[in-house]
Amino acid sequence: MRKLSLAAALLAGSAITTPAFAEGHLQIVDEPLELTIQMNHRAYPIYEEDWPVEQAARALTNIHLKDVTVGANMRTDSENTGNTEALNLMLASGTIPDIVGSSRIKDFVNQYGPEGAFYPLNDLIDEHAPNIKAFYAERPDIAASVKAADGQMYYIPYLPDGKYGRAYWIRTDWLDALGLDMPETVDEYEAVLRAFKTQDPNGNGEADEVPFFARQWPELIRLVTLWDGRAHGSDTYHDFYVDDGQITHGYIGEGYREGMKNLARWYADGLIDAEIFTRGSSARDFLLSENLGGATHDWFASTGGYNSLASEIEGFEFKAMVPPASVSGKQIEEHRRILVKPDGWAIGHTNEHPVETIKYFDFWFTEEGRRLANFGVEGMHYDMVDGKPIFKQEFLDAGPVNRSLYQIGAQLQGRGYFQDYDYEVQWTNEIALEGIELYEQGDYLIPDFLGVSFNADEQRIYDKHWGSVRDYMLERQQAWILGSADIEEEWDDYLAQLDSLGLQDVLEVMQSAYERQYGN
Amino acid sequence: MSGVNLSGIVKAYGALQVVHGIDLNVAEKEFVVLVGPSGCGKSTTLRMIAGLEEITDGDLMIDGRRMNRVAPKDRDVAMVFQNYALYPHLNVAENMAFGLRIRKMPKDQIKTTIDDVAEILGLTPYLDRRPADLSGGQRQRVAMGRAIVRHPKVFLFDEPLSNLDAKLRTQMRAEIKRLHNRLGVTSVYVTHDQVEAMTLADRIVVMNDGRIEQIGTPMELFNNPANTFVAGFLGSPPMNQMKGVLTETGAKIGNTELRLHGAINGHQGRDVIVGVRPEHVTLAESEGTTALPINLDLVEPLGSEALLHAHHGEDNLVFKADTNGDINHLYGVGTVHVPAHLIKLFDAETGRALNLGA
Amino acid sequence: MSDRNSDVGGIPIEEVVVEAQEALRDRSQTRVPDKNWVKVLDHFKREWQIYAMLLPTLIWFVVFLYKPMYGLQIAFKDYSIFRGVAGSPWIGWEHFETLFTNDQFLRAVRNTIYISALNLLFGFPAPIILALMFNEVMHATYKRTAQTIVYLPHFISSVIIAGIVITAFSPSAGIVNTFISWLGFEPIYFLTQPEWFRPIFVGTGIWQEAGFGSIVFLAAIAGVNPSLYESAVVDGANRWQMMWKITIPSILPTILIMLIIRIGNVMEVSFELVILLYQPSTYETADVVNTWVYRQGLQSGQYDLAAAAGLFNAVVAFVLVMTANTLSRRFSRTSLW
Repeated sequence: MRKLSLAAALLAGSAITTPAFAEGHLQIVDEPLELTIQMNHRAYPIYEEDWPVEQAARALTNIHLKDVTVGANMRTDSENTGNTEALNLMLASGTIPDIVGSSRIKDFVNQYGPEGAFYPLNDLIDEHAPNIKAFYAERPDIAASVKAADGQMYYIPYLPDGKYGRAYWIRTDWLDALGLDMPETVDEYEAVLRAFKTQDPNGNGEADEVPFFARQWPELIRLVTLWDGRAHGSDTYHDFYVDDGQITHGYIGEGYREGMKNLARWYADGLIDAEIFTRGSSARDFLLSENLGGATHDWFASTGGYNSLASEIEGFEFKAMVPPASVSGKQIEEHRRILVKPDGWAIGHTNEHPVETIKYFDFWFTEEGRRLANFGVEGMHYDMVDGKPIFKQEFLDAGPVNRSLYQIGAQLQGRGYFQDYDYEVQWTNEIALEGIELYEQGDYLIPDFLGVSFNADEQRIYDKHWGSVRDYMLERQQAWILGSADIEEEWDDYLAQLDSLGLQDVLEVMQSAYERQYGN
Repeated sequence: MSGVNLSGIVKAYGALQVVHGIDLNVAEKEFVVLVGPSGCGKSTTLRMIAGLEEITDGDLMIDGRRMNRVAPKDRDVAMVFQNYALYPHLNVAENMAFGLRIRKMPKDQIKTTIDDVAEILGLTPYLDRRPADLSGGQRQRVAMGRAIVRHPKVFLFDEPLSNLDAKLRTQMRAEIKRLHNRLGVTSVYVTHDQVEAMTLADRIVVMNDGRIEQIGTPMELFNNPANTFVAGFLGSPPMNQMKGVLTETGAKIGNTELRLHGAINGHQGRDVIVGVRPEHVTLAESEGTTALPINLDLVEPLGSEALLHAHHGEDNLVFKADTNGDINHLYGVGTVHVPAHLIKLFDAETGRALNLGA
Repeated sequence: MSDRNSDVGGIPIEEVVVEAQEALRDRSQTRVPDKNWVKVLDHFKREWQIYAMLLPTLIWFVVFLYKPMYGLQIAFKDYSIFRGVAGSPWIGWEHFETLFTNDQFLRAVRNTIYISALNLLFGFPAPIILALMFNEVMHATYKRTAQTIVYLPHFISSVIIAGIVITAFSPSAGIVNTFISWLGFEPIYFLTQPEWFRPIFVGTGIWQEAGFGSIVFLAAIAGVNPSLYESAVVDGANRWQMMWKITIPSILPTILIMLIIRIGNVMEVSFELVILLYQPSTYETADVVNTWVYRQGLQSGQYDLAAAAGLFNAVVAFVLVMTANTLSRRFSRTSLW
């Protein structure tokens, strides 16, 4: 144990009762082994060796990660191209580190893995990673989704936990002020939004209320689910979805057509933020704090936090509501936390210790490793209470918890690990928890599309057509909402145009890839 | 009353006065040259006449009309600039026509005018060329042509020849003189070159430090400079000036006494500047001359003449002597002979010419 | 000569070889210093400082312009970063076929040219007019203040510029719509309407760059011989006439050079600003080649396709610059080279 040096001393000092650590049953190698790592994510552009979590992992496994990240930048645009850039730069530099971790790594490793840039992991997992193997045995759908077109896995993914992401939110105090009940159907929802617009719930004498708003305008399109349409098949906007084993797209469905027709009407009537397409990420912040916004569709945790505005706006109450029943009576929440992210880590082809590396990856799927990845270091960041990790109060008080976790090297999505939703429950605000509870009572969620991996031919067809198809879909979509074109008049032409742009070809390759990947 | 009349003209830039009240009458058809060292205010005076500079104080009359507040275009003057000020994007004919077009002269009339002037200036073959394709002399002629076509009451020349080489300058000088004789337009000409001034002017105005030092015909100024400045400015080389003291019979310079014509009339003992033109001394003694011993420093042959650079006491002197085809005999010169009647005297303190005879 | 040729044909080959060998030996034995070579060496010895000063520029050109040209070949390859430029297989014109069979790419090309044409038509004269106007301003303090104000937008990042534009044209709170409502008209959601994108984009470009662009023209105006104006004043020209007959013709060479350079950038519509201002609903008029490439190529790592589009841009720009330069040289004797 002498070689554990400073970090171990630190641990030993702070962690008074850590019996599991001392046993050394997680140790992978006898002599310390150094592996190089590239890890780039917008919240942590490089892998920092003095993260307490890394230090603890070293002590436990005897494997040291050494940061060699190239091309790191702090770009935080929504498309996260900064990460892709860093990966591409790393490849172009000609040296691939032993471990490569990143957000959006899936397409990257599934393209370059088969070309030989990364180790195929199937056999390694089978032989040396009992915990990962056990996880995949339980979740074959996830195992299928991470595979490349050649059937190999090339990365160990970050696996989010918890089901709920976004929800419908509404100003309940406005409902009370106007003497309205919580809307339960799409018609009631419309009536409420209309009342928000016309009956001056904020009481300033002006019809300046913005009944429905969204930070990301595609959230508006999601409302087509109220007319039994589909918008986004996964947590990626404008994604495909699977309908009874068939890959299809929301934007060609009848429900979408009906929904868009009605949303256009809502927009024309002022029920939807006139600036929905340009207001951008500050929409929620601005419209809520100005006492203008009435309803939205947004994340549980962060949106619930706006109830602190009650100190400034009298009676302010912004609460989650269950999805209004659609025209056919279905209550659907299209958005959910996806089961598997395209984030995680992979083994570079020049790695001389693939077995040790996969064992190291497997370590993070052990009970201790998973706890370390989720909560940080016991005694430093959390304590075990009744067999459960509970964050120390001073850690929770030290500012946004997510950021604090990043800063100690926990919850890194460039690391392959299985998230534990308990970590979030401990600091999610009550309003959000209340909302989640509300959603738990009903069965609103629908399965996500987990994506497919193309072979080279499929990829070529997809690349050739999909961009044009998507552009055209979005162009018409906005035009219909804005009223510059009429969906009813255009619909047949629209479908024909999509076909001529190659939508059927795209669906075809998606289907073949899907069947290969999930079909068994 | 025609011509150009300046009375009490002052130019000041804020607190800095650069022209201190000038009085000058230029008669109709007269060719007056303003000459002086750079910074003496001659160009400023010319630009005030043109209307390019505002007149701070005093009156400017052209053809009997007060022009102080009149816009340049309405003064009926034409100006020729030192760097010609030709429009590089216009050809010769267009350059000359510029002022006429602006005055909306009918096209056919413009054409005949320009053809006439081009003929006079010998520019006819070049009418289609751009300034960049012309020689310096041709450009200068275009600049003059542009002034001439306007038929102004007054020509103003601002050092028009100073950008030309020596040979061309001599040639153009003569051409300007001929043109003036032919056109007979009142002209005010600014130069720092005293040769130009001497050769061109009906009258020369010598300016220094914002003031007029002397006005007169070239020969008046040459023969009777009003002060040491004029004496030192005109003539090539200029007049030698030596410090001296008047005696009963002449002027004593160091140990040498130069005899003078006329009476000293009780001015004995007065400090004076003794002026002797380089070309007035002779190497041989003759009647009415006084010998002036000199130490010869240098002989500069000019051809038929040579310049003798010498000193007498502390005064550096330059004399002209005939070479007669050989300068060797000049190296031995130790004495020059000064004719008494050509010696000029100036007050040592004021620098003004002394006329003791009167 | 024909006689000699036939002679050579008649000589046995051995003899020819021997002769040649002798000739070579003679040459090496009686080797006189190669005069040209020595001259060049002497020249370098004497003038090496000048060449040393040239060196940084040459290195810059080689490293940043010529070496990357090697990578242009990926436009004709199925490029994989992992395989590298040399290791990726050739696929000929496939990327170009992809581009030119794609209606949206062709639309982007049309939009690029359209926006550039508007930029040339309105954006190019703007700094010239501004410079002429500044030149007429006499009051020094006023002039300096005004110049600073119009230079300022150039130094603001495109992101902020876009934010200002979005705010200014906002249908609910924007100053433009406030004014429109005040006049009694319905507010317009400018940034989602295809027909408004071009005017807003070009106008923003002018607002952002006209001031800074005027500097070069102000410098050109400052270089005009002041006696030209004095001469014109004496000739009776007013300020308007002086501007048209002296200032503009005098800076015409500068204008033409700037125009040629500008024409060379026709395919380079300010990409960041488009990205920040456009919406799917305005793709119809706003989507330019670079944004299209960004969406199709870079987002999915299709560098080869992006390189093909870039090569196409370069070829178009090259042809345009050559044409403009030739025309300019022929008609105004002004040209870049």
